[in-house]
Amino acid sequence: MEDVSRPQNTDFEKLALPLLDPLYNFARWICGDPDEARDLVQETFLKALKGFASFKEGTNFRAWMFRILRNTFLTSRTGLEHRNTQQEDESGFADAPGPDDSPEAALVRRADIDQVRKAIAQLSLPFREVLLLADIEEMKYQEVADALGIPIGTVMSRLARARKQVRDSILQSAGVKA
Amino acid sequence: MNCPSRDKVALYVDNELDAGAQEQFAAHLRNCPECTAAVNAQMELKKSLRAAGRAFTAPPELHASVYRALRPQRSVNVLWKWALAPLCVVLLAVVGYLLIPKSRPDTMMARLVDQHVTNLASEHPVDIESSDRHTVKPWFQGKLAFTFTPPELAGTNFKLIGAKLAYAEQRPGAELWYEAGAHKISVFIFQSRDEQVKSGTSHDLSFNVTRWSQGGLDYYLVTDGSQDEAGKLVEMFKQANKS
Repeated sequence: MEDVSRPQNTDFEKLALPLLDPLYNFARWICGDPDEARDLVQETFLKALKGFASFKEGTNFRAWMFRILRNTFLTSRTGLEHRNTQQEDESGFADAPGPDDSPEAALVRRADIDQVRKAIAQLSLPFREVLLLADIEEMKYQEVADALGIPIGTVMSRLARARKQVRDSILQSAGVKA
Repeated sequence: MNCPSRDKVALYVDNELDAGAQEQFAAHLRNCPECTAAVNAQMELKKSLRAAGRAFTAPPELHASVYRALRPQRSVNVLWKWALAPLCVVLLAVVGYLLIPKSRPDTMMARLVDQHVTNLASEHPVDIESSDRHTVKPWFQGKLAFTFTPPELAGTNFKLIGAKLAYAEQRPGAELWYEAGAHKISVFIFQSRDEQVKSGTSHDLSFNVTRWSQGGLDYYLVTDGSQDEAGKLVEMFKQANKS
């Protein structure tokens, strides 16, 4: 029996340690506070290590780790506040395409990093977390769905809306009516 | 202005279409300026988001606390416990010997000698196994707040086995694990503190320890091999990290 724990922990370290920075980045974006983000990540690692035996081989480890972090956040004080205050408009599946081929596209391209960060921060939590996982962590739709525990269709609609809101916000700060 | 294939733009940009559909849509783009412009704009937005979204890296103290949380959980099987028992006695003797007559700066060296001895007995002395320095160096990216260059070993007696994170005196560092014939060599690298590390060598309990500072980093080489051999690797590190 004792033989089992060592390779498991070694495997866990190999899989989990490279995710430390991405998890911390995600935690900072969803909770906004460095100390809380640090605690979230630490708790995520402890929970994941404890539950590693129940992790099914062949399933997506990265999505599993992000899911633990996100669930931990949602049960934290800040997470509960978010849950109680956020109202999300889920109506409408497809998003109307924006003026992609106009001079506005050039403004989006030239937007400075602070503008883009401000636009991400302004998104509501359900939109922000989908955008972070799909566009910053470069996860596939299915992986995002697994990490957040939502249907893939919801991932797609939230992602489209989040991108549109970011683009509109950038255009707005550039003085263009979105 | 309303191409019927427009709803595939996001799927194409996100690489979510299957291979056939991806190719088909790429062919469509050659004849559809509307979708081409939309694809370009979405790619630009994704690029900006990626650059802006990677805004935070885990602080070193988080790396250290996670690392500490993981390590004590490792258990050793019964056979190994018995095999390690005599080694523990030797280790205690080493620690005792090193601690009693030495002044404070040498505790760092004692710790690193301990770490080297622990590695000698370990089944898993490294976290990343690779003889390729171009694999080992990037492994530390995001884990350490500094960088260094492991030397090229072609045509030498040295072989890189791998690397792992090291912690000593509340600071994270790099540990590289080398082989030279039957001897193992640890090279530890830490960010320098205010107090200057004295360059030099020592010979505690058959271990040769060489330490030096270069480019804001403190290097410690520990080996049970000869001083000549250690000197060669030290020189190679110095050359590789010349600014």
